[in-house]
Amino acid sequence: MITLNDYLLVAGILFAIGLAGVVVRRNIIVIYMCLEMMLSAANLTLVAFSRFHLVDGAPDYAAQSLVFFTITVAAAEVAVGLAIIVALFRAKQSVDVESVTKLKG
Amino acid sequence: MMSSFSIEIFLAVVGVLLIALDAFATELNRKVVPWAAIGATGLALILMLTRSADIPAWITPFYATDSLAVFYKVFALVTTLIVLIIALEGDFITAYFSSSEGVKTRIGEFYALPLIVCAGMMWMASAKDLVALFVPLELVTVSFYVLVAFTRRSAMSLEAGVKYLILGALSTGVLVFGIAWVYGATGSLSFEGIAAAASKPTTNAMALMLGAALLLAGLGFKVGAAPFQIWIPDVYQGAPTPVTAFLSVGSKAAGFVVLTRAVQAFTGDGSQIATQVGNALLSAAALTILLGSLPAIFQTNVKRLMAYSSISHAGFMVLALACGATGTVAFYMGTYLPATLLGFLLLVVLRTQGVGDELKDLAGLSKRSPLLAFALAVAFASMAGLPLTAGFMGKLLVFMAAISKAHYGVVALAVVGAAAGFYYYFRPILTAYSPVEGESTKLQVSPVARVTIAVLIVGVVAVGVYPKLLQSVLK
Repeated sequence: MITLNDYLLVAGILFAIGLAGVVVRRNIIVIYMCLEMMLSAANLTLVAFSRFHLVDGAPDYAAQSLVFFTITVAAAEVAVGLAIIVALFRAKQSVDVESVTKLKG
Repeated sequence: MMSSFSIEIFLAVVGVLLIALDAFATELNRKVVPWAAIGATGLALILMLTRSADIPAWITPFYATDSLAVFYKVFALVTTLIVLIIALEGDFITAYFSSSEGVKTRIGEFYALPLIVCAGMMWMASAKDLVALFVPLELVTVSFYVLVAFTRRSAMSLEAGVKYLILGALSTGVLVFGIAWVYGATGSLSFEGIAAAASKPTTNAMALMLGAALLLAGLGFKVGAAPFQIWIPDVYQGAPTPVTAFLSVGSKAAGFVVLTRAVQAFTGDGSQIATQVGNALLSAAALTILLGSLPAIFQTNVKRLMAYSSISHAGFMVLALACGATGTVAFYMGTYLPATLLGFLLLVVLRTQGVGDELKDLAGLSKRSPLLAFALAVAFASMAGLPLTAGFMGKLLVFMAAISKAHYGVVALAVVGAAAGFYYYFRPILTAYSPVEGESTKLQVSPVARVTIAVLIVGVVAVGVYPKLLQSVLK
C-alpha cells in the first residue's frame, strides 16, 4: 500500500534534484528543464495531499483543480521562456549562463 | 456602473484585442494602439472610481472587495496609466532596440501587454484564495518576462530577460511547492480556512511552517525582499526603462497585497506559527534595508541606484508588515508611487534627448532644463524622506509602527538605512545642480511629459504636506 508519506518523499526528492540542477548546471536549457521538474514535484505534492485529504469520506478536489492551473501556467511559461532563450542564442550563439554576465555591480 | 470584476475583464479583453489589431492592421491603424491603451486604462480608472459594489455571487469565495483590494486596484490602474505615458515618451527607443537591422517593427504589444498585466494586478488585489493568488500572479509574471526582454537588440535587455525568466520561474516553483504544503497542513486553500486551521492544535505545525516558509520565500522574490533580492539590480538596469518603472511600482505593489493577505492568514489570532513568521519578517526587513541601502552608496548608474533604492523601500514595507500595520504598507506604497514613477519618467525623457543614465551624464542638468532638474530634486528628495515630501510621511509611519511594537534593533538598522539614503539620493541632485564649464544645449520636453511631471510633483508634495489625503482613501 502506497501511503501519503511515500508520495511526499518522491516529490521532495524530485524538488531537491530540480533545485540542485538549477544551482549547479551551466546550460540555460537544462536549468529550465530543472525548473519544470520543480513544478512537477509541487504538482505531485498537491495531488497527493488532495487525494489523502478526505472530506466526508471522499477526496478533496480543490487542490487537484489547482494542478490544472499550474500545468497551464507552466506551459505558458515554457512558451515565453524558450522564445527568450532562442533570442539569446541568436544574439550570443550560446545558451551558457556565462554568456549573461554583462550586468553587475 | 460596472463591478470591479467586469472592469478587469474589460482590460484583459482590450489588451488581447490590441495585440490582434497590432498584428493585422495597416501601418496607419497601428498608430492608435498606444493611445487606445492609454484611453482604455483611463476609462477603466473612471469606471473603477464609479464602480458598483455588487459582484457575481459565484465569485465571492475567491474575490475580496474590501478597502485594501480597492486601494490596490486603483493603485494598479494609476501605475499602468503613467507607465503607458512613460512608454509613449520613449517610443522610438523601444522601437529601435526591438527591431532587426533595417526592418520596421511593430511594438504594439509593448502597450497592449501592460493592460493584461494591470488586469492581473487587480485580480491579485482581490485574492482570497491561494488559487486566486497564484493564477493572476503568473499572468503578471509571464507578461513581464516578455516586457523585460522586449528590446532584444540590446544585449542588456536580453540578459535581464533571461535572468528574470530563470529566477522568476524558480520562485514560481518554490511558491507552488509552498502552496502544496500549506494545503497539506491545513486542508484548505482559502486564506480564511488557513487562518482557522493555523490556530487549531491538531494542525501539524512543522508542515505548516515548511509551507509558509516556502510560500513567503516565493512572494518575497516578487517584492524583492532579502535574501531574494539579488535579481533586482540586474533586471531593473537591463530592462527597458518604462518596464523597470512598471516592475518597481506595479509588480511590487501587487506582490505586497498578496504578501499582506498571506501574512494575515499565517499570523491570525492564536496561530501556531505567528511568532516564527513575525520574526522571519523582521529579520528579512532588516536585511533588505541594509542590502538595499549599503550597495546603493557605491552606484554610478542612476537606474541601478534606483533599483537598490527600491530594495531598501521594500525593506521598509516588510518592516511595517512585520508590525502588522497593513494600512502603513499601503500608505508607503502610495508615497512610493509618484516619486519612483517621476524618477523613471525623467530618465526616459533624458534618454530621448541623448542623455544617458550614468550619474555623470546628469551634470549641468539645471542649466539645460530647470524643470527636469527640479523634478529630479523632488523625486529623489521624496525617496530619501525629506520632510514636506510624501516619502517622509511614509518612513515616519513605518518607524512609528515599529517603535510601538518595541522592535528597537530593527528600527536602529532602518535609521542607518535611511541616513545612507540621504547620501546616495542627494548625489544625483547635487550633480544635476553642479555648475559645468562651457555652453550646453537646452533640452526639449514634450507637453505630455510636462503635464505628467507636474502632476507627479504635485502628488509628491500634496501627500507630504497633507497626508490625510491618502490616509482617508485607506480608511
